[in-house]
Amino acid sequence: MSDTNRAHPVFEPILAEVSEQHRDELLAAFAAVENSSHPVPEVQLLALRDATLRRNLQRLLHRVGRTLVAVGGTHWTSGYRDDVAAELTVSGWNALPVIDRAVLVLVLIHSVAIPRSQGVLGGDSWTSAQPTPADELLRYAQIQKGDVRAALQRLRARGLVQPAPTRGRGAGNGPAYLPGPQLHRLTPPARRALQEELILAAAPDSPLAAAIRARRAHPRGEQ
Amino acid sequence: MNETETALWWARVRAAGPQRVTSGDAFPAGMLRLVEPDVTAVWLLPAVPEGAGPGVTEELGLPLLAVEQPNDTARVLAACLRCCWVEPTGPMWPGAPASRDAVASVFTKITNRDEIASHRAMIAAIRRLAAAGWVLWDEPGQTVRLGPRVAAWGSADSSALRELWRLLPPATGAPSSDTGRS
Repeated sequence: MSDTNRAHPVFEPILAEVSEQHRDELLAAFAAVENSSHPVPEVQLLALRDATLRRNLQRLLHRVGRTLVAVGGTHWTSGYRDDVAAELTVSGWNALPVIDRAVLVLVLIHSVAIPRSQGVLGGDSWTSAQPTPADELLRYAQIQKGDVRAALQRLRARGLVQPAPTRGRGAGNGPAYLPGPQLHRLTPPARRALQEELILAAAPDSPLAAAIRARRAHPRGEQ
Repeated sequence: MNETETALWWARVRAAGPQRVTSGDAFPAGMLRLVEPDVTAVWLLPAVPEGAGPGVTEELGLPLLAVEQPNDTARVLAACLRCCWVEPTGPMWPGAPASRDAVASVFTKITNRDEIASHRAMIAAIRRLAAAGWVLWDEPGQTVRLGPRVAAWGSADSSALRELWRLLPPATGAPSSDTGRS
């Protein structure tokens, strides 16, 4: 039903500049980074390996509100452009219900924030191999446990959390969760904003929180 | 609509699924406009060029987000397609509404399960499909319609689905002229 043979008004201005073969490479890379649940190895696609083609891919993504995100030096995925994400948030286009956000934050605190503050986890990624036991999520919940479970199910369907592998956690342990692969889609400024929000929430009186507030009040020198 | 607004609309649909807007609104470039039967509203659905769709990701051997209960979800979508695509020689969208019981009768025939288990699985699958825009689920009225996402299927997909439609049993109580028409 979709008429895909006509020149596409959003893609064509970029595609018209490249050869037929490179056009296919660009479209395949677009499909890969936009739809794959995990970051894509650059060895697999020419448009991710080649700097010129990658710039064109970035221009394609830009036209639909997206941007390329590098993961670990050899992989790529896509995420929302920072200006677009800010606009979507301000105008209430956040698709996650409040309870899902709360449960996701708990997983991020247990699996990323705490291990990072202990020096166990380096870098600025929001993915981690440190499991958050489901008991931990249910124990202090001020809402119905059934609601927490339903939220976990929705977060799993969106790839925002994933079940932790049972291997190595010993028998008798209940289920546990890890941050999901979709968190790779956060751009560096989005990763930093998430970190700052957690600091502001967890330790509002700390010198670090004061520094964040000061920088936000006077954003000179940023970008 | 300028490039910034177009990019923002594409991102909105990425974030929240196909969007229903009033038919007089300006619409973003590169999107399909699916007119509702009462023509007061249209659904906006992004259309990417051939070679940039989710199918390519699969051909490349890259992982896609797993759907929960993929088999039952696919069977329920097939049952909805059988009931709502009234004239399979024509376009799928907008199709006709079908009652939950009609969809259930097709689903039960193809799964051969006891009624209670079958009903529970079907409702869960309808909710999953509705959340993703594959079907429109009127829960109070207990009726299902095909969702705007079905319009993203290309002509090759549509021929395969037309074949599938012919293989599926009709809903119980559906007019017999419904079957085997080509």
